[in-house]
Amino acid sequence: MKMNKELIKNKLLALIQFLIPIIVVIVLWEIIVYFELIIQLPAPSAIYNKFVYLMFEKKILTNHIYGSFYRLILGYILAIILGIFVGSIISLKKIISDMLTPMLSLLIAIPTIAWVPVLLITLGLGDKTVIAAVFLGGFFAITYSTMHGIRMVDKNLINAAKISGAKKTSMFISIFLPGSLVSLIPGLRLAIGYSWRALVGAEMLAAMVKWGVGKMIYTSRFWNDIEAMFLGLVIIGIGGLLLDQLLMRYIERVTVERWGMISEG
Amino acid sequence: MKKEAKIKVEGLKKVFEGENKVTALEDVNMEIYGNEFAVILGPSGCGKSTLLYLMAGFEKPTKGNMYLDGKKIKKPGPDRGFVFQDFALYPWRTVLKNVTFPLELKGLPKVEAQKMANKYIKMVGLDGFENAFPHTLSGGMKQRVGIARALVYEPEVLLMDEPFGSLDAQTRKQMQIELEKIWEKNKKTVVFVTHSVIEAVYLADRVFVMTARPGKIKDIVKVNLIRPRDYTDENFLKVREKVLEILESEVEKSMHQKQEIEKT
Amino acid sequence: MNKKKISSIIFGIIPIVLFFLFWELFAEYEILNPALFSKPTIIFPKLFDKFPELIHHLSATIYRLLVSFFIALGIGIAIGMLMGYKKIIYRSLNPLITTVMTVPGIAMAPIFILWFGFGDPTIITIGIIVAFFPIVYNVAMGVRSVDKRLVQAANIMGGKRKNIFLNVYLPHSVSYIVIGIKLGLARCWRTIVAVEFIAATSYGLGYMIWDAYEYLNFSVVYGGIIIMAILFFTIEKTAIRQLEKRTIERWGLVHENE
Repeated sequence: MKMNKELIKNKLLALIQFLIPIIVVIVLWEIIVYFELIIQLPAPSAIYNKFVYLMFEKKILTNHIYGSFYRLILGYILAIILGIFVGSIISLKKIISDMLTPMLSLLIAIPTIAWVPVLLITLGLGDKTVIAAVFLGGFFAITYSTMHGIRMVDKNLINAAKISGAKKTSMFISIFLPGSLVSLIPGLRLAIGYSWRALVGAEMLAAMVKWGVGKMIYTSRFWNDIEAMFLGLVIIGIGGLLLDQLLMRYIERVTVERWGMISEG
Repeated sequence: MKKEAKIKVEGLKKVFEGENKVTALEDVNMEIYGNEFAVILGPSGCGKSTLLYLMAGFEKPTKGNMYLDGKKIKKPGPDRGFVFQDFALYPWRTVLKNVTFPLELKGLPKVEAQKMANKYIKMVGLDGFENAFPHTLSGGMKQRVGIARALVYEPEVLLMDEPFGSLDAQTRKQMQIELEKIWEKNKKTVVFVTHSVIEAVYLADRVFVMTARPGKIKDIVKVNLIRPRDYTDENFLKVREKVLEILESEVEKSMHQKQEIEKT
Repeated sequence: MNKKKISSIIFGIIPIVLFFLFWELFAEYEILNPALFSKPTIIFPKLFDKFPELIHHLSATIYRLLVSFFIALGIGIAIGMLMGYKKIIYRSLNPLITTVMTVPGIAMAPIFILWFGFGDPTIITIGIIVAFFPIVYNVAMGVRSVDKRLVQAANIMGGKRKNIFLNVYLPHSVSYIVIGIKLGLARCWRTIVAVEFIAATSYGLGYMIWDAYEYLNFSVVYGGIIIMAILFFTIEKTAIRQLEKRTIERWGLVHENE
C-alpha cells in the first residue's frame, strides 16, 4: 500500500516537472505578443479564445475532431488487421519473405503523402481517400514490424517447442505471435504516428473533405484566421502526444515491458 | 625498522545519502605497504568496492582520510591504475588504442606510446590482437586489455575491483594464475577486491577481511605461502579454512541484510 | 559470396517485375481503368521523355533536403550535446521537444505560407524543424547514456574535461547521432515532398506530382511515385548503410532501433 502512494506521488512530481517548461514558454509567449515584440504570432490567450469560440459558440470544433478521429480509427484498425495478416503470411515461407522484402522496402520508401494523388484519382476527393491514406501510413510499418518480429523470435524458444513435438500451426500461435510482439508493439506505436501524420496531410489535400483538424488548418489560411491555425496545430500536437504517450506507451508497458522483453530508460 | 605504508587509510567513513541512508563504511583503518599484494575480502554489500572507489578518488569520503605516498587522495589521477569488473573498454577504440589512451592523455608522442602499449599488450598475452575491436574479444581477453591499459602508464598502485567476477570459472582460474605471473615480474602495489576466498588466498600477501555493512576491517590474515601457490596444497587449504572462518559469520549477516531489503 | 548476392537481387526483382506486368495487363484488358491507372508502358517512356525536366525538379527537392537537413544536423547536435551534458538544460527543453515533435510538418505549412509565402523559405524552414527533433532527441539520449565507468576510467588515467568530452562523450554519442540522422533524414524528405504539394510554385518533386495531378497528367503522377521509391530507397541503402557500417557496426554497437 505504501508503494502505491509513493508511485502516484512520484508520477505527479514527474508530470509537474514536465509541465513547468511548457507553462513558462506559454507565459513568455503571452508577454512577448502583449508587448508587440513579434506581431505575427497570435497570443496564447487569443488561441484559447478561439478555442472557446469554435467549441462552444459555433460548436464546430467537435465536428472537426470527430471527423479526424473517425477516419484515424478506421484506417488504423484496418492497417493493424491487414498488416499483421500480410506480415504473418509473408513470413511463413522464407523464400516468400526473401523475395518480397526488397519490394516492401521500396514501398516503405515512398512518403505516405505521395500516395494521396493516386488515392484522389482512384478513390475520389472525399473521406475514403483520407482513410486509405491513414491505412497506408500504418500498414507498411506494421507489416514490416510483424515480419521482423517473427524473424527475430529466439531460436531456442522454437527449438524447445520443436523438441516437445509441437506442430507448425500451434507453434505459430503460441510462439511466433507472442514472440513477435517485441517488434510488433513498438511497430504499432510507430505506425500510429505515421497514420496520424498521413491523416493531417490527406485532409489538407482532399478537396471534398469538410471536417477534420487538418482541414481546419488548411481552410483557416484562406480566412487569414491565424488563431484557428495555431489552435489546429495545438490540437494536432496534443492529439499526437496523447496517442503516443498515453495509448501506445501504456500498451507497451503492460505487454512487452512487463514481460521484460524491452526496457525503456 | 618499520616500513612506511604506501597507502594509509585513517578513520574512513562513507555514508550514501538518498532515499534510504546507507552507511557503507564505518571507521576503516588500514595500512598497505609498497610492493604488497593486498586483497580486500568480504561478503557482498560490505562496502569493499566502495572502499576501492574511495581510494581511486571516484567518490569522496564522508569522514576520514586516505594517503598515497604521504599525499592525501582527493580525486582520480594517473598515480593509480584501476581495473573494472565490467572491463570499461572503449568500444570505438582498438585494443592498441585502448592501451595507448592514457599515454595520449599524458601527451606522449604516438610512436613512443605505441611502443609502450605493445610491450604491455605482449605482457598480457594479447599480441596479434592489437587491431581488434573490444566487442570481438572474449571476456578474459577484454580484461587482459583492461589490465594492460591500467599498467601501461606505470601507476604507483594498481586497484582492481573484482576483475574476474564477470568471467566463467575456467577463465577466472586462468586469469588468477596469469595475473600472479605478471605481478611477480614487477611487484607493483596491488589492492584487489574480491568475495572469493580461494582467489584471495591464491593471490594475496595479506588478506583484509571486512565485516558486513557497515564495513570495517575485521581481521588481517598474512599468507606466507611460497609463490606460485598450489590450490590443492595442504597449507593452502589451512589458510583457506582460517579465512573462511573469519568470513563466515559476516556472510550470514550480509544475507540477513539482503533479506531485510527485499522485505520492504 | 557474389553468387549469393546476385541471386538474391534477382529474387528480389522478380516480384517487382511481376507487379508491373500484372499492372500492364490489367490496364490493357481494362480490368483497371487505364485512364486512371496509366499503363507502365506509358509511364516509363514518359519519364524518359521528360528527363531534363525531371532532373530539374529532383535537384530542387534534393537541394531543399540537403540545406534543411544539414542545418538541422548542426543545431541538433549542438543542442543535443548541451542537453545531455547539463541536466537542467535537459529538464527544461525535453518537455518542449517531446510535445512539438509529434506535429506533422505539413500541418505547419499553411502558417508558414502566411508568414513566408510560397517556395523555398517555407519548405526549408519546415524541413529544418522536422529533421531537428529526431536528431536532438537522440543526441541528448546518447550523451546521457554514457557509461559512467568509461568516464571514471578516463578520469583515473589523467583525463581532463576536454579530453573526456572528445574521447568519451563524443564517440559514444556517434552511434546515437547515426540513429538520429537516419530518422531525421527520413522525416525530412517525407515532409519536404509533402510540403511541396502545397507550397511549391514552380519546381520540386512534390510540385511535379501535384501539378501533374491537377492537370490530369496521371502517368506523371505514377512516374513521380516510382522515382521517389527508387531515389529514397537508394539513399537509405547506400549513404546511410555506409555510415552505419563505418561506425556502429564496426564498433559492435548495433542498437535495436526503430
